Amino acid sequence: MSDGGGESGREFDRGTKRKSSDRDFPQAIAKIAVAQICESAGFQGFQQSALETLSEVVVRYIRELGKTAHTYANSACRTECNIFDIIQGLEDLASLQGFSGASDSDHCLAGSGTVREIVQYVSEAEEIPFAHSVPHFPVIRDRKQTPSFLQIGEEPPGDHIPDWLPAFPDPQTYVHSPVLNERGADPCAGNIEQARQHKKAEWSLLNLQQQLACNGLEGPSMIDPGDAAKARRAAETNPFLSAPLHFGEKGVSPVFLPAKLSNEAVVENQAGENHAVANHVSVLETFAPAIELMKSRSCESEEGRKKVLSNQRPAVQFKIEIGKKSTGTALDLSFQNKDVEKITSWFGKDNEKDDKKRRAEKILKESMKNPQELAQL
Amino acid sequence: MNQNQGGNDARHDDDSALSDFLASLVDYTPTIPDELVEHYLAKSGFQCPDVRLIRLVAVATQKFVTEVASDALQQCKARQSAVVKDKRDKQQKDKRLILTMEDLSKALREYGVNVKHQEYFADSPSSGMDPASKDE
Repeated sequence: MSDGGGESGREFDRGTKRKSSDRDFPQAIAKIAVAQICESAGFQGFQQSALETLSEVVVRYIRELGKTAHTYANSACRTECNIFDIIQGLEDLASLQGFSGASDSDHCLAGSGTVREIVQYVSEAEEIPFAHSVPHFPVIRDRKQTPSFLQIGEEPPGDHIPDWLPAFPDPQTYVHSPVLNERGADPCAGNIEQARQHKKAEWSLLNLQQQLACNGLEGPSMIDPGDAAKARRAAETNPFLSAPLHFGEKGVSPVFLPAKLSNEAVVENQAGENHAVANHVSVLETFAPAIELMKSRSCESEEGRKKVLSNQRPAVQFKIEIGKKSTGTALDLSFQNKDVEKITSWFGKDNEKDDKKRRAEKILKESMKNPQELAQL
Repeated sequence: MNQNQGGNDARHDDDSALSDFLASLVDYTPTIPDELVEHYLAKSGFQCPDVRLIRLVAVATQKFVTEVASDALQQCKARQSAVVKDKRDKQQKDKRLILTMEDLSKALREYGVNVKHQEYFADSPSSGMDPASKDE
């Protein structure tokens, strides 16, 4: 905008660039027109804000003129405006500035000072056509009308509905098909089984990926996607946990019953599931209340999972996800070998029993060794 | 009687002048395109199928803008000459006439439009500098 030369060329660029950034197409066109007029007045450059302000003022001028003319037409019991309405509108708008003959109360409108000024302006000013060709706007799109009952030859479903009204949409669009509920005696089991197998496959892939990424010792401790029994139990006991399961999410997690734990995999490598079960029963028993507390506060997050995995989760299988940062940070990465103290402190917060804590620590330490052993398998 | 006749003649002249003017408007292409004017007039309820009236509104608007721009130009030139009194060489260099918010607000104030502009926004290193030197 600052170069003196090529002003008109730049206006083309400015116009095209502006069209995308302005909120309205007509506003952009007004800017271009105003810029052209100002250029003919002698300006060589504009400030953006000044140009925008002036174009807004111009738009308001046009609208004000139209409104005033329309008001005068309505006052004269007409709906269409004519030249005299416009002249009166012009006089109203120019009354601040003043024009010759403004004080005459009974002058003929045709000889108004404003008109004379405009005539003079037209005769003097050079004609500057608009820089672009403007399409007719606003563009009215053809809306596809919903056909009426008559048009599609359908009988309206009730006597109270005339046939010239639009037809109803197809039933498929709004009727809930009951197919899913008719599968068998225990639909949940089927779904859960499918979900379990699907997740198992996903977890296998994830495991492979993880193992390729990490070294052997740090094989991810994975949670078995879960048994049908477990998940079902989860669905029954806790409605939140039976909600749609995300990738790799384990529904309820091993908190509830020790019996479940026998089905739980500690560390899953690609070979198969390893059930280091016995060690974990008591651990999870111990941790159960705290885990429930934590679980009630936490939500699923992929990030949390991945973090968990990559940080060598030990055999303890309950999910430690980053639900809220405050709990997450305290929990999620603390199951390293060196962080047993953290565990104790965490449990200290929740007022766990001391002997159980000690037992838990011992078992944890033992289980830390387990992933190493298992990974070697 | 004579007065009336004189008045009638004057009115006829006015009418004829007006109709002539309107006829001439058909040839004249105002800078503001007709579609734009029609759009905004339609928004305010103005209904008229006659293209000459649209052109009249467009020409009136153009005249308004020209007046505002010329006032702003005068302000700009006055400021430049006031600044450049001491340095003659700057006068040759700094011929660029840029429409700034300052000049525009002063010019618009006479037309009843009060535009208040921020002095500066401290969001870039060049804020607060002399607007004439700031290229945009």
